Amino acid sequence: MGPLDGMLMGIKDNFCTSTLPTTCGSVMLKGFTSPYDATVVKLLEASGAILIGKTNMDEFGMGSANVYSDSGVVQHPFTYRRVAGGSSGGSAAAVGMKMCTAALGSDTGGSVRLPASYCGVVGFKPSYGRCSRNGLVAYANSLDTVGILSGTVKQASVVYDAISKHDPKDPSSMPDKLRSKLDESDSILRSQWTKGNLKGLVVGIPQEYYVDPMSDDVVDVWRSGIQFLKEQGATIQSISLPHTHLALPAYYIIALAEASSNLARYDGVRFEKDKHTDVSKKVSGDMMLYADTRAEGFGAEVQRRILLGTHVLTAGTFDTLFLPAQKARRLIQADFDQVFYQHNALYESSVEQEGQESTKVHVILTPSAISSAPRMTDVLERHESSNDVKAVDAYMNDVMTVPASLAGLPAITVPFGKSAVDGYPIGLQLMAQYGHDGFLLSIANSLAKKQK
Amino acid sequence: MLLSGSRFYSRRLLIRNHFQRATFATATSQNHRYIKDNWEAIIGIEVHAQINSNTKLFSDTPTSFNDLVNTNISTIDAAFPGVQPTLNGRCVELAVKTALALDSKVQSLSTFDRKHYFYPDLPQGYQITQQREPIARGGSISLTQLDGLDEPIKVGIEQLQLEQDTGKSMHDMRPGFTLLDLNRAGTGLMEIVTKPDMRSSHEAGLLVKKLQAILRSVGSSKANMEEGSMRCDVNVSVHKIGEPFGTRCELKNLNSVRFLSMAIDAEIKRQIIAIEQGEIIESETRGYDVSSDKTFKLRGKESALDYRFMPEPDLPPLILSSDYIESVGSTLPELPDQCRTRIMEQYELSLTDANVLLNESGSLVFYEKVCIGRNPRFVVNWTLHELFGQLASRSIPFQENPISEQQMGSLLDLIQNGTITGPTGKSVLKVMLEERSNEMPMKIVESKGWARMGDSEKLKTLCENLISQHVEKAETIRNGEPKMYNWFIGQLMRETKGLADPTELNNALCNALGCKLEDMTSAPAGGSAIKKTKKSKGKKGM
Repeated sequence: MGPLDGMLMGIKDNFCTSTLPTTCGSVMLKGFTSPYDATVVKLLEASGAILIGKTNMDEFGMGSANVYSDSGVVQHPFTYRRVAGGSSGGSAAAVGMKMCTAALGSDTGGSVRLPASYCGVVGFKPSYGRCSRNGLVAYANSLDTVGILSGTVKQASVVYDAISKHDPKDPSSMPDKLRSKLDESDSILRSQWTKGNLKGLVVGIPQEYYVDPMSDDVVDVWRSGIQFLKEQGATIQSISLPHTHLALPAYYIIALAEASSNLARYDGVRFEKDKHTDVSKKVSGDMMLYADTRAEGFGAEVQRRILLGTHVLTAGTFDTLFLPAQKARRLIQADFDQVFYQHNALYESSVEQEGQESTKVHVILTPSAISSAPRMTDVLERHESSNDVKAVDAYMNDVMTVPASLAGLPAITVPFGKSAVDGYPIGLQLMAQYGHDGFLLSIANSLAKKQK
Repeated sequence: MLLSGSRFYSRRLLIRNHFQRATFATATSQNHRYIKDNWEAIIGIEVHAQINSNTKLFSDTPTSFNDLVNTNISTIDAAFPGVQPTLNGRCVELAVKTALALDSKVQSLSTFDRKHYFYPDLPQGYQITQQREPIARGGSISLTQLDGLDEPIKVGIEQLQLEQDTGKSMHDMRPGFTLLDLNRAGTGLMEIVTKPDMRSSHEAGLLVKKLQAILRSVGSSKANMEEGSMRCDVNVSVHKIGEPFGTRCELKNLNSVRFLSMAIDAEIKRQIIAIEQGEIIESETRGYDVSSDKTFKLRGKESALDYRFMPEPDLPPLILSSDYIESVGSTLPELPDQCRTRIMEQYELSLTDANVLLNESGSLVFYEKVCIGRNPRFVVNWTLHELFGQLASRSIPFQENPISEQQMGSLLDLIQNGTITGPTGKSVLKVMLEERSNEMPMKIVESKGWARMGDSEKLKTLCENLISQHVEKAETIRNGEPKMYNWFIGQLMRETKGLADPTELNNALCNALGCKLEDMTSAPAGGSAIKKTKKSKGKKGM
């Protein structure tokens, strides 16, 4: 019997599977069957999991409400009046409706944690490099992470154990030497709080995350989370992550630049199974062919992001946009390194240990989203207005989740409470230092004890 | 040795033409940099050499040349969704080796970038290259009088970088369609960029040939322009000495050294004429048309693409330790220039002979092995002139030479120690070539009964018999008229089937006749002149 034997799982439709189509929610890959399986899919099958199907998603991972899909909008598991969130909306809804025990998602800027928060399920994004990305259709290579959605933290842990293995085919896969070093540090940390009592655990509350657009019901749940942890014996520490305000712009610049590059291979000629357009009629000069077929294959949001990403890489703006965004990313990562007790194993020197001892923490606690699941009508109105400015407003939803993505840190959302206003789920996010995934899961488990 | 003067020359020319396919530069170029009226040409070259590895740069698909179309591609080469590149260490090793051979500084840290443009034979929509931080910087190639220049020059190298090759697009095979062969997509390339240090098409041609020789000796590339394992793009501009450099144009699609040189000359001519007529040179990419000996516009540089370079996010920086670089350096073979100097000294070879050995792959190793324990000049004559000549006349390239060093060495020993005569040696060589025989020469000699007849008793008897059958003729010789001497020699040669050692034969005959060889002065010496062939112009009689 494998460790996952009999576990029903959904797989987000951007993981390559050889037995089912892989469409990434896009017309561009309609009917496309991959000749090979993603590494994590193979690992799940080897562990005995039963893969029941591919789940709906925002096209190519681009979106936060799961309205941008060729297969239609994903509704919230409790009601059709709300969205499930994106881009792993299908996975979150399937788990929320108990269609499956767990599901794979991909988290680039919050695409697992956001829908998990909206749908009231667990959403785990491991440290970057822990799970192989080979076979995960790339959106932004330096940010994409295989994520897990499940009913309980325990279930997420079991799935994580099955898929967190080094893969030589993935050049960004955490090498074995580093992996063992981190595992050791991780288990030492974890062993300090096994009895349920969280005495000695320092939980950081970053002041910069208390943003204007955050609705009051979310703030309330955050407060009750802090209170709960205090009651379990933890020490609460206010901290500052001063470069947080740079996170959202830095993320969108980097992610969109990489995305425009990764999507260059989709010419609209090669992969789509049943073409709607007769390609042979389009030969009007060889470059023009791609403009037509790509415009037909990509949805509006993807086109928007490709254009923005292309702009960021053009000769003039590379130095004024792309490079500064990368520098900002390093600053955000340094912010985290300053507040965590644990040293960041990716850096040899202890330069980042400059922060004062008195403001160091083991984990950080924030909300996962700035609101409960948005109304379907609001989202669709914005989508149908084809107003680019309004569409970009949606990017604000990622503000809680993006910093952990930029820094590659492990982060998890746990369903903690319900909105006092509309009764919809509100999740709380925990983040830990790079590589300490096991520790994070165990603390998340303690937090989840509250949920009924 | 045994060859007459004129035949010697023609055979050498045959060898040289066969093995040195491209002659130096063009008909119009001279061996100097001066054009006319103070004009000077500034030339730089960008080389793309396919890396001679078994598999491609970022996937483990086999590399190939002329295999059946689309049989050597993987999901990575075809840019399927979800695939990732993994760097081929062998390509890195060969690039480092090449950089060291070019005296270039190998960088301890280099990175990969994506260069974006849309084209059917570029499945990813970008090429992975090393734009910003290449694997090696600097270096140079020297060209000297030994290479054919009046004055030595040193051509600087800007950098050496690793990058992917594209697939092949064929636009003309089916009307209205572009056919794609992705066998080549993803093959590793070394891009080597020189500084604009060349001043003539002659220098450019020599530089390319020298680079080919270096790449082949290092083993990092087959560097064959005709086959496409090496592509050269040339940048040409002109200016009057003392004035700033002019606008340069890029010449592409040059598939031999000869065309490269011709194209450069045509372009220099075009630019000078244009400027003299008051026109402005536009920065362009041009091709070369052989039949008209003119360059023509391929595309303008104004419509040059913005490649939107971005660091390749899937690949970490390439870090090379100094230990690694040193260990690769220790595997460097002797480079062409060093080799040439050494063999010219060690074996007392002429420059021409040395160049033949260096340019014919495998021949130097063969030659040096046969030289062990033998006289180098003797070996040179028999390998470079005899063997190469026989191969050339049968259009067999040296790489397909069926004769092993052991066979050759043994053959030379047999000649040297007198077991067989020189002419017999040539016959044995012929047999070994024609029959592609693995047999050692001695076996062939025995089976054909070709051993030199050195038995003086036997010879003496033969002579005496012949004399006794032709007493009157013998008498004329004894009476001081050597005219018939050659006739006797001829008869004896026929009877002994040319197996008698010429010297011994002459001695035996003279003894039998009771004459002195010096008195027979008009008699030509040596067996080959006597063994007349149709081409021979050997002296007849007195």
